[in-house]
Amino acid sequence: MPSTLSNPLRLGLRQERVISPQCLVIFGASGDLTHRKLIPALFELYLQRRIPSEFGIVGCARRPWTDNQFREKMKLKLSDQILGKEKEWEQFSSYLFYESVDLQQSDHIVRLSKRLNEIDKLQATHGNRTFYLSVSPNFYASGCKALKAAGLIDDPKKSRLVIEKPFGKDYSSAKKLNKVVQSCADESQIFRIDHYLGKETVQNILVLRFANTIFEPIWNRNYISSIQITSSETVGVEDRAGYYESSGALRDMLQNHLTQMLAVTAMEPPGKFEPEAIRNEKAKVLQASKLADENEPWKCCIRGQYGEGGNSSNRLKGYRQEDGVNLNSTTETYIATKVFIDNWRWQGVPFYLRTGKRLPKRLGEIVLTFKDVPVHLFESTIINPSPNQLILRIQPDEGATFKFEVKSPGSGMKSRPVEMEFSYDKSFGEPSDEGYVRLLADAMLSDPTLFTRSDEVEAAWKLYTPLIELMDNTPWKLPIYNYESMTWGPPESDQLLSQDNIFWRRP
Amino acid sequence: MKPQLTLQSPLELPYQEISNYLNQLWISEDKDNSGANTFTLIVWQPAWLEQCLVQTGLINGPITGNISPEIIKVAKKFILDNGLPHTTSLNSDELLNLLRGKLSNKDFEDFRGQFFESSISTLHPRRLITLAPTLKKNSEIKTFVSAYCPLGDNTGIQPICGDLVVIRGDSNSIKDKGLKIIDDLSINELPSWLWWNGSLDEAPEVFDYFANFGIRLIIDTAHGSPNRCLKVLDQLKKKDKAINDLNWLRLKSWRESLAMIFDPPSRRPILDHITDIDVDIAGDHMLQSLFLISWISDKLEWHFTKIEKHKELIKIEFERNKGEIISICINPLPVENPSIHLGQVIGLRLISKISEVQKNNTCVILGCESVECMRLEAGGMADMQLIEQVVPNTFFSSESDVSKLLGSSRGHTSPLFENTINIALKIFNSLNKK
Repeated sequence: MPSTLSNPLRLGLRQERVISPQCLVIFGASGDLTHRKLIPALFELYLQRRIPSEFGIVGCARRPWTDNQFREKMKLKLSDQILGKEKEWEQFSSYLFYESVDLQQSDHIVRLSKRLNEIDKLQATHGNRTFYLSVSPNFYASGCKALKAAGLIDDPKKSRLVIEKPFGKDYSSAKKLNKVVQSCADESQIFRIDHYLGKETVQNILVLRFANTIFEPIWNRNYISSIQITSSETVGVEDRAGYYESSGALRDMLQNHLTQMLAVTAMEPPGKFEPEAIRNEKAKVLQASKLADENEPWKCCIRGQYGEGGNSSNRLKGYRQEDGVNLNSTTETYIATKVFIDNWRWQGVPFYLRTGKRLPKRLGEIVLTFKDVPVHLFESTIINPSPNQLILRIQPDEGATFKFEVKSPGSGMKSRPVEMEFSYDKSFGEPSDEGYVRLLADAMLSDPTLFTRSDEVEAAWKLYTPLIELMDNTPWKLPIYNYESMTWGPPESDQLLSQDNIFWRRP
Repeated sequence: MKPQLTLQSPLELPYQEISNYLNQLWISEDKDNSGANTFTLIVWQPAWLEQCLVQTGLINGPITGNISPEIIKVAKKFILDNGLPHTTSLNSDELLNLLRGKLSNKDFEDFRGQFFESSISTLHPRRLITLAPTLKKNSEIKTFVSAYCPLGDNTGIQPICGDLVVIRGDSNSIKDKGLKIIDDLSINELPSWLWWNGSLDEAPEVFDYFANFGIRLIIDTAHGSPNRCLKVLDQLKKKDKAINDLNWLRLKSWRESLAMIFDPPSRRPILDHITDIDVDIAGDHMLQSLFLISWISDKLEWHFTKIEKHKELIKIEFERNKGEIISICINPLPVENPSIHLGQVIGLRLISKISEVQKNNTCVILGCESVECMRLEAGGMADMQLIEQVVPNTFFSSESDVSKLLGSSRGHTSPLFENTINIALKIFNSLNKK
């Protein structure tokens, strides 16, 4: 009897696009991202039989590893994922190659080019290549130039360039970086990755909005009073202090992940489900977005930094006590801000965005709060009838909840809120792919739909420019409030909403 | 009306000169444009119904190879006027034989091979070869050739061009000379596809030629006797040929809908207790229903035990690992306005029994329309837990299905279909032995 742990009738029905023969070249192959996300995602694609037999993965970093050392290190790092699939890993690992490369050394790139030609012959990949820049953002521009100089990205049909976030550190640096990257490669070759867009639930926002008749007519200022977008983590800075000290929550999360969620939630319907049509709409809505008070931006933003917390059995360090963090650091680990979108659909509707580390729960969600009914006919069992809310859960327990009022049982006519649930798990019973699985496949398939275009990135930086200028020039105007680890951020962030008579949803 | 691919009428040339002409054409044209680097598509395009209707004077020409609404309307009227049953399919032999008896010697223009849906032309086939068999016997082979450049959305980008060749003549002359021409026209470095857009019963020598040729095949097992269709599938499988069957492709929404019902983990135990399945089909061509049953049994690991024919009904039995029997019944139903494709599934009912108490059992019904669902509810099904879904048989045109195959498939037989064919063959052979 077949196992019903997975749906037997579903097996083989998914018609996935097959990746064409090619070589994926990962710069920064000795880094965390490679073994935590990229190689696991590629192995998953292999298990899903979406990787052709004519394929190669070339790890590049400065360390003098051999092909076999690279294979062994990846095997060790992925041991949990490989468990029970040792045979498949052995086959998959034959795709792995390694070349010691310093992107700043032109002779290294020449050597890499020769090696890639050899691998092309060995693996029959026809010179079709995807270059993944998983290196420090400081090397994005020089890396692109080096690849261009070696002629490795000359053919727009046969080469693609994937660039990790953060793309720039403010509006002007992003613009400058775009200029450099676009001088090296055609925009159609450039894939700026934001792994949030690879999440099934973020893509589901598009389906929910544009494949159902019930949502779009009410998806505007006439029915929605406010929108909250939250992405919270329970972990602290971990071993990323070096990077995090120079980025903080604004650059690490707000400008990219949260702003992409904002764009997908607020964009106009595209004319077609085609990459450029979707990216046009996302860019347009970001260009129409602005901080709630651009003249006095400190009034619409709260920054925080986690302090000590936890309990006696599990004391948690404060941010400034973490390894590698400056004792007087003013890097924010929490940020909340209020944004308006200057267009017909969203005029006057506040969007509240918050993200932080060491918050009580790991979650991502978008909460659409609808306007109150014009007349309250019924008494509520709680103090006031609560407004209707549509909660889109990005992670974990992906799904959606609709909150609405019903009659409370009994002889009176009292109302109380109830929730209608959609859970991916209960409806499909199978885990969705990691964002990187989808995005890596899309990049290799040259499908840019879920990647951010240059104008989107620039618009997202421009939106936060008043805050960045404030943080750089007059940081005392945007103070860092301390908050206890495992609480929902500094109490001041509640005031950002309470002045509008709104409260953060406590998930 | 599908768009005409060529702006000018193709040039008629003696078949011996075609290959040379095309070589010269690409050399003398714009040097930067050596033609699309895609694939060759050969189409067997008999369009018998259209030819018959034009030649009997029931519709005006020219012949384009398209099933237009006018053709459907006129053919249906002809069916009624000539006392054929309402349920007669437009592709049935009765209809075509009746029409063949009324042919005139009227001349008509034949534009087959010049009209293609944009879903195919936007894939930029490098070479489109149409084999256009004529009704008229003893008609000598005629060949036509032209270049074409489909207009895409991106104006300003250099168009990607291809060429088209039409080979017209009666089936015998196509067999004798047409195949030789195709041999000369093949582009070795590009993959070639054959779309057999007709019944698998016709021109077996021509079909067998392609089946032995290094080519990817697109067939439609709704057209042709089930016996011949399964024989073809068996032959192709034994030769390890890629098989793409539009009749299987059209089952996709049924397979997807059925799988969707069991996506929630809470419903999956129902699958372990299925005892009865009924499949309703339009007309008596059983292949598509056999594919559906074979796919289900493959996925649920049932073993075929026996098949019996009771008048029109076909009864099949499978066994689960524990020895439990699953009874399947295929019911051919006469339907008004049947699809042009024979034997399409119109309803599916699964009964899963876990208890003697009826209300604890489950009945899953999929129907092509709500009336069909209601029909399948009869017999006390509503006493069980009922899961119903309407799966409309909204067929896309065959060209649109073909374009999906050309755009997505690498020319391998889908593993799901391969397993399905194996089981379907086993069942059908068992029926034939009786």
